[in-house]
Amino acid sequence: MNEGLCADIKLANDFQPDMMRIVRKYNLTDDVRFFQVRPMEEQKALTLCYNPGQFMMVSRLGVGEAPFSISSTPSRPGLLEFCIREVGQVTQSIFRLNENDSIGVRGPYGNGFPMERLKGRDLVITMGGLGAAPLRSLILYALDNRDDFGEIYLLHGAKKPGEMLFKTEFFDMIERKDVNTMLTVDADDTGKWPAKVGLVTTLFKDIKQIDPANTFAAICGPPVMYKFVIQELLKLKIPKNQILLSLERRMKCGIGKCGHCVVKHIYTCMDGPVFSYWDVINMKELIY
Amino acid sequence: MANQLPRVGIYGLTGCAGDQLTIINCEDEILALFGAADIRSFVMAKSDNTEDEMDVAFVEGSVSTEEDLSMLKDIRKRSKILIAIGGCASCGGPQSGRALEKNWKDRIKQVYGNTKFEIPDAKEHQPLSAHVKVDGVIPGCPIDKGEFLRAVSRIVNGDMPIAYKYPVCVECKYNENECLLLKGIPCIGPLTAAGCDSVCVNHNIPCVGCRGPVIEANVASEYKLLLEKKFSKEDIVNRAMMFGGVKMAELLENLKGAKK
Amino acid sequence: MRVLKLRKKDLKKMLEKISSFGELWAPVKKGDKFAFQKIDNLNDVDPNAGRTILPLKKFMVPPRFSMFRYDKDGYHEQLGEVTDRVVFGAHACDINGLLILDKVFAEEFSDPYYIERRKRTAIIGVSCVPDEFCFCKETNTDTVDEGYDLFFSELGDDFLVWVGSSKGDDMVRAAEELFDENISVKDIQKFIEWKKWRETQFKMDIDLTAMPDIFELKIDDKVWEKIGEKCLACGSCSMVCPTCNCFNVTDTVALGKMEGTRDRCWDACTLHEYSLVAGGHNFRGSRADRMKLWYTHKLQAFIGEFGKPSCVGCGRCITTCPVDINVKTVAKTLRGEEVYFK
Repeated sequence: MNEGLCADIKLANDFQPDMMRIVRKYNLTDDVRFFQVRPMEEQKALTLCYNPGQFMMVSRLGVGEAPFSISSTPSRPGLLEFCIREVGQVTQSIFRLNENDSIGVRGPYGNGFPMERLKGRDLVITMGGLGAAPLRSLILYALDNRDDFGEIYLLHGAKKPGEMLFKTEFFDMIERKDVNTMLTVDADDTGKWPAKVGLVTTLFKDIKQIDPANTFAAICGPPVMYKFVIQELLKLKIPKNQILLSLERRMKCGIGKCGHCVVKHIYTCMDGPVFSYWDVINMKELIY
Repeated sequence: MANQLPRVGIYGLTGCAGDQLTIINCEDEILALFGAADIRSFVMAKSDNTEDEMDVAFVEGSVSTEEDLSMLKDIRKRSKILIAIGGCASCGGPQSGRALEKNWKDRIKQVYGNTKFEIPDAKEHQPLSAHVKVDGVIPGCPIDKGEFLRAVSRIVNGDMPIAYKYPVCVECKYNENECLLLKGIPCIGPLTAAGCDSVCVNHNIPCVGCRGPVIEANVASEYKLLLEKKFSKEDIVNRAMMFGGVKMAELLENLKGAKK
Repeated sequence: MRVLKLRKKDLKKMLEKISSFGELWAPVKKGDKFAFQKIDNLNDVDPNAGRTILPLKKFMVPPRFSMFRYDKDGYHEQLGEVTDRVVFGAHACDINGLLILDKVFAEEFSDPYYIERRKRTAIIGVSCVPDEFCFCKETNTDTVDEGYDLFFSELGDDFLVWVGSSKGDDMVRAAEELFDENISVKDIQKFIEWKKWRETQFKMDIDLTAMPDIFELKIDDKVWEKIGEKCLACGSCSMVCPTCNCFNVTDTVALGKMEGTRDRCWDACTLHEYSLVAGGHNFRGSRADRMKLWYTHKLQAFIGEFGKPSCVGCGRCITTCPVDINVKTVAKTLRGEEVYFK
C-alpha cells in the first residue's frame, strides 16, 4: 500500500452535506423557485465564503443530490441563494419543501469567476433563461463593489415576460445610473412588456462605452445562446480569453471523482464551471 | 401527501397475478406497507375494497380484452399516479410474444379454429401504455420485491420510482459473473433493463429479458452477434420476444431481416 | 528495498502466519475465469491464477456501497463496516491500476471511502506470465515498484519477496522464520533469466506510440460512428477496467420513514444516462460520442492530465466486450493497421 496514504489523520468527508435551513422561498416564474438558505450551525453561517460563479451540491433527503449555481453574492454574507427549476426528481422534491425545512448542502465547488482579474475592467454580462442564476451573483457582487469595476452592461433575455428571472430586481437596476441594464423578451405575449422585444443578440448594438481590450464578458444561458452571443462579443473586439462562459453538466460529486462532467481531460466541476471562450474553442463538446 | 397516507389500489388485468402475489409475499415488510399506505383496493389480498379516487394505482397484466380496457380506463380516471407493474403491464408479456406478426385474427383462428369464445372481446395483448398514460413502470416477471418496496417508499414521500436506464450487464458485472454471451449462450442482458441484480446470470442462466428492453437497447448489434454465433433468426426473435412483447416488437420491426 | 526469499512450498504456512492482518482474498476459479474471492481453505490459493474478471478496484471502491445513512437530522458517514483484508495474487498491471486510482481518489479532494479501504487492504503482488491478451509491456505497466505491501517474483522453487511497505515488513516479521535473507548470485541470475524469458512471452502485437496525436487527428473520423453502431452500451468495459472510476450516487428511502442510505455504485460513460442533465439535454446522446469519450479519456486525455495513459494493458476489455470493441481493435483501427469496424 502506498505509504503516502497512511497518514492517520481523520480526513474531512467532502461528500458530507451540511444541513441548512430554508429561510425564504418564493416563485420567480411558473417553474423556477427562489430558495434562500442558512447553515444550521451559526459558525458555518458566519464563515461561509465563495466566489460568484461557484456552485454547490444540494441534497434532498431520500431523493438525491444535484449541482446548483449560487445566485447570491459573497458580499452579502450568511445566506446562500439558489434558483431552482423544476425539471427532475431532485428539483421536484426540493420544490415541495417549505420555509424552515432543512436541506443538505455541500460546497462551494468549481472555480467561479476570476474576481481578481475582473477588477478595474468593463463588464458585459449576458444571461438567458436560467443563466441568470450564476450571473446574478456576479452582477450583485460587482454592484456591491462598484468602485472596483469600469462600465457594467447587463443584458438579459427571456423567451417571454413570464419567464424572466429576477424581473423586479433587474427592472430596479434600469433606474440605476451606474449600470446599463437592457432587458428583452423574444416575444411579448402580455402586450404590457415595458422593455425591449427581440433576441438578446439585438441588444449588443447599444453597447457603446466599453474599452474592448479592457473588457471581460460573462455569458450563461441555454446551449443555443452561446454561439450567437459569442459572435456579438467578438464583433465588439473583446479578446477570446476575456469571454467567460459558465457551463452546465451532469455531476454526482462536484469534486472531480465521479467522472460525469468530464470533457477530454477537463472536469467541469473542478476546472470550471467558468471557462474562457479560448479554453473551449477547440472542445465543442463543452458548449453543445 | 406526506401527512396523510396515500390511497393505493392494486389491480390485475390479464396475467398470472404473480406480481400481486409478490406483493403479498413481502412478509417481513407487509405491515410496514399497510402502515405507510392506505391500501383501499387489493382484491387479491383482502375483501372490503373501496373503489374511489386513488393517489396511486399499481396495475399488473396486459390489456387483452375490452373488459381489461374499460377497467384500466376507469382506474386511470380516478388515479393521480398510475404505475404499471410486471412484464405484462409494461411490455405486453409473454402473451404478446407474437406481436411482431400483427395478424391477430388469423392467429386466434389458427389456435382456436371456429370455437365459440367465453370471452368474446379478446384483442391483441397490449401494455398499459398503449391505451393510457402510464406515470411509472416497475418491470420484471415477476416484479422484484425490493424494487416494489423502494418504489412505494418514494411514492409515499411524493417522489416517483427510479427507472433503470442501464442494462442487466452492469449489475452482472457488479456480481462478477462470467459473460454468458461470450461463452456462446444467447443471453439478452445487454438489451434488458437492469434492476433484477442479474439474478438469472448469477445462477448461470441466460437473461431472457423479462424486464423489457432497456432505453437505447442496441437490438441490431446483438442480433448480428447472435447470428455470428450461429443462432437462427427464428431462435433469436423468439428469445427476444419471450418477454419483450410489444416493446421488443417495435425494436425488432426496424430491423432488416428479423421479421419473419 | 528489503528483498527476501520464500520457498514456494512454504506459501501456505506464510499466509497462515499473516492471517491476523485481515481476511485473505485471492483469485479463485469462477467458471472458466478467475475472481478474487475470500479464502476459507488455503489450498484454494493459486499463485499462477490468470486475470480476474474484476480488477483490484473492487476492494477499494466496491461496486455498490452506502456512503451515508440519513435520518431527519442529516447524513451520517458510513465507514465503520470496512474490514482489514489481505489480497494475495495481484498482478503488476492491476497494482499499476491502483496507482492510477490513487491519483484520482487520494489526491486533491480525497475520497475517504477509497482511502479507508486502501489503508485497510494489504496488497501482495505476484509475478505473472502474459497470455495472448496481455499488453502491459506496451503501456509500461508490466512491472511495478510501489503500491504494494509485498511482491512475490518467480524464482524456480522459491519466490523473491519484495517488501514494499511498513505493513509488508510487519507481515514478513510475523513469519520471519520462513524467509531467507540470503540471495545468492545464482538466484539473481535465475531472476534475470526468468525476466528475460517473460519478455519473450508477450504475444499481442499492439503499438500505442503517439496515441494522443492519433486521437487528435482521428477525432472526427467516421469510424466512431461504426463503433457506436456496434457498441451494446452494456457498460461492461468500464466495469472491468482497473482504472475506470466513474460512479453514480442514489438515495434509498425506508418505507414510511424519513430514513435511508445514500449509496454509490459504479457507473460508465458508455451508458445512455451518463451525460444527461435535468431537463432532458443529453450532452452525449449517441453511443459514438460516448465511445469516443471512453477511448480518448484512456489513451489521450489522461496523458494530458497525469502524464501517462490510464490503460494498464491488462486485456480485460479484450476478454470482456461481447462485440470486440477494445483497446486493441480501436487502436489498430485508428492507426490504420487493420479495419475492425465496417
